[in-house]
Amino acid sequence: MTAPDAAVHVRNVSHQFGEEGEVHHVRALADTSLDIARGELLCLIGPSGCGKSTLLNVMGGLLLPTAGTVHVGDVPVRGPLPREIAFVFQENALFPWSTVMENVVLGMVFQGVPRTEREARARRSLEAVGLADFTGHYPGQLSGGMRQRAALARALSLQTGILLMDEPFGALDEQTRMILGEDLSVLLARTEKTIVFVTHSLGEAVFLADRVAVFSARPGTIKEIIAVDEPHPRRPEFVTSAKFHALRNRLYTLLHDEIRKAVSQSASGGGAPDQRP
Amino acid sequence: MRHLHRHPGLARLALVLGLLALWEIAARYLVDPMFLSPPSRVIAGLATVFRTPGVPRALAITLWELAVAFALSVAIGLAVGLAIGLSRFSRASFMPIVLLLYGTPQVTILPLFILFFGIGPASKIAFGVSHGVFPIVVTIVAGVQNIKPILLVSARSMGASRWQTFRWVIFPHMIPSFFAGMRLGMTAVLLGVLLAELYVSTAGIGYFTTLFTQSFDPTRLFGLISLLAAMAIVLNETVRRAEVHFGRWRAE
Amino acid sequence: MTPRSGRRSQRLSRAVQLAFLIAVLALWYLATARWGVSHLLLPNPTSVLAELEDVLASGEFMGDLRVTLTELAAAFAIAALGGVSLGYVVSRSPYSVRVIEPLLAGMYSIPIILFLPLYVLFFGLGPASKIALGATIGFFPVALNTIAGFGYVDRIYVVAARSMGASGFQLFRWVLLPAALPVILTGLRMGFIVALLSILGSETIASLAGLGHRIVHLAEAMETARMFAYIAFVVAIAAALNFLVTVLEARGRR
Repeated sequence: MTAPDAAVHVRNVSHQFGEEGEVHHVRALADTSLDIARGELLCLIGPSGCGKSTLLNVMGGLLLPTAGTVHVGDVPVRGPLPREIAFVFQENALFPWSTVMENVVLGMVFQGVPRTEREARARRSLEAVGLADFTGHYPGQLSGGMRQRAALARALSLQTGILLMDEPFGALDEQTRMILGEDLSVLLARTEKTIVFVTHSLGEAVFLADRVAVFSARPGTIKEIIAVDEPHPRRPEFVTSAKFHALRNRLYTLLHDEIRKAVSQSASGGGAPDQRP
Repeated sequence: MRHLHRHPGLARLALVLGLLALWEIAARYLVDPMFLSPPSRVIAGLATVFRTPGVPRALAITLWELAVAFALSVAIGLAVGLAIGLSRFSRASFMPIVLLLYGTPQVTILPLFILFFGIGPASKIAFGVSHGVFPIVVTIVAGVQNIKPILLVSARSMGASRWQTFRWVIFPHMIPSFFAGMRLGMTAVLLGVLLAELYVSTAGIGYFTTLFTQSFDPTRLFGLISLLAAMAIVLNETVRRAEVHFGRWRAE
Repeated sequence: MTPRSGRRSQRLSRAVQLAFLIAVLALWYLATARWGVSHLLLPNPTSVLAELEDVLASGEFMGDLRVTLTELAAAFAIAALGGVSLGYVVSRSPYSVRVIEPLLAGMYSIPIILFLPLYVLFFGLGPASKIALGATIGFFPVALNTIAGFGYVDRIYVVAARSMGASGFQLFRWVLLPAALPVILTGLRMGFIVALLSILGSETIASLAGLGHRIVHLAEAMETARMFAYIAFVVAIAAALNFLVTVLEARGRR
């Protein structure tokens, strides 16, 4: 794709935690480059510890890489860009002491949205994720799936061009993931956001993404990028189609050896440290 | 500077030394020596504290009071704790009473203890026991209570008698709580005995704290109190180590 | 246990507690009225009641109560302000938490009441020494809990807020403070209780006024019945204050 269509440029990004020779030294990412097109949904998939969450944090400005650059349009990313980038984390980051509505509004307070717009935007995004009836509830009163919907609503209400999601459904059971995945696909088809989505699940990656970037084991780099040529929103029938199976099998083949490598890595040495900045 | 960063223990030591230095300066140059004594003089004066006639014996008596009070607290606490804890009914009946008594400010009845037990070591021991039994009873009851029912069921399924269940399942399960209770009990006994000593004492350490206070001798007073504080730390630490050692199987 | 038998055993427990109370009162009465225990040692329950009525009716307790409560208010104010401020400052960096928190915890583990004679030497027998000691002892649970409250806010909330563009003040106001508040309130309650106990203790041991002193004074004058009355009064006051702060803490936690 040509440069004006690319929303995010990742150039030769490497990252290591700790210094050479230290106990915690981990080379998380090695020389990764990537161009993400405006409006596309890109999945990052790979074995544990391969650096995909690290790359996401670098893209979002939560982490400064030890080498390489990231640009959003022509703006270099050196810190959080709350007007351009919104996050959904795997660990639930809704504030437990505020209601769902308050949580969504708070995101806009931080970003700097004028007071008059906040509540209207909040209601719209909560309706979009199906939580219109739960605005007065506290996160502790909701199920895991509903909490992640609320987190998504908070991110959507910020109306950023880019949405970064770090295994948002990782803590949920298979059935909830399936439903949320379908709803997410419908929701995202309506927006024109650029989305980067980290996942462990092969099926989830094929179902949601326009392209899937497959990572190698640590130190992670992009092994191959697979395109999923299927219109949005993805229908549930897609999952049982032959095309889906073929793509999923390709992912499996690409990943299997890397996963084995990662498992033997974590058995011999320590695991990667918490990759959050 | 990097070293301080790696070793918070060192930084802590530096902080304590800094505070001691401030104290030294304040005591030497800013405050009337009748009220405050610098650490240098206190440390030098520790020997004279020991040489003051009656002090070593008073320390010994106080230590003895603590030991007896602790032993009694443990014995009584264990007996009462087991008696209450082993049956759900006695728990429901008596725990509210225990907790009510535990919550009252015992310091108000200190003069009563002196009235009943006199001004000698007996009242110090009694007051110490009165403080020490409660945490032990409470923790033992909790330790017996929170045993996982599945353990009791599995013992019964293997044909264990009531005594066997107690000896091999309930009792071992309760031991870490028992040691936790002893740790809290030691802190409580220290408080009880020392409070009683400070209130009125003819042979124990409280006699000398009063003496040094009334003769405006901050050097020896602080020396004596430091010794008592050191003793308290040693006792607390001993019980804490025992707790860690015997509570090893509890992953929490 | 079926609901019916559950309720029955609950009532049975209550009956046992009542029986226990009655037994204690009966023993007390018998000891003084029938078994010849000296009334200087253990006064008759009826005379204690009479003395209590007299104390309450005459308002004799007011002076001492005022002294004790003033000392408590002053000590707690100092402990709360100092504890929360220091606690917040220390919590700002994980390194200072690692250095200072064990130091504070260690200092709190010794019976600080030991230092009362030093405080009396320095401040005299008046309220100042009680306030100073009460503030010293009350400081620790407040500071330690404030450090715990602010220092252990789950990082994910901080990261999420920063990713949404929160300023330093917004972070404090909307994330750190609400997250830390329940723990801090617990620390304040503990500090209050501990300050009260230390003030009563120091009034008992070395004082010229206050409720603790009044009890000692009556003991020395062998006015045992009146002393018992005052003990009951002080226990009631302490229980009321305890209840008050517990309720306030619960309210503060919403």
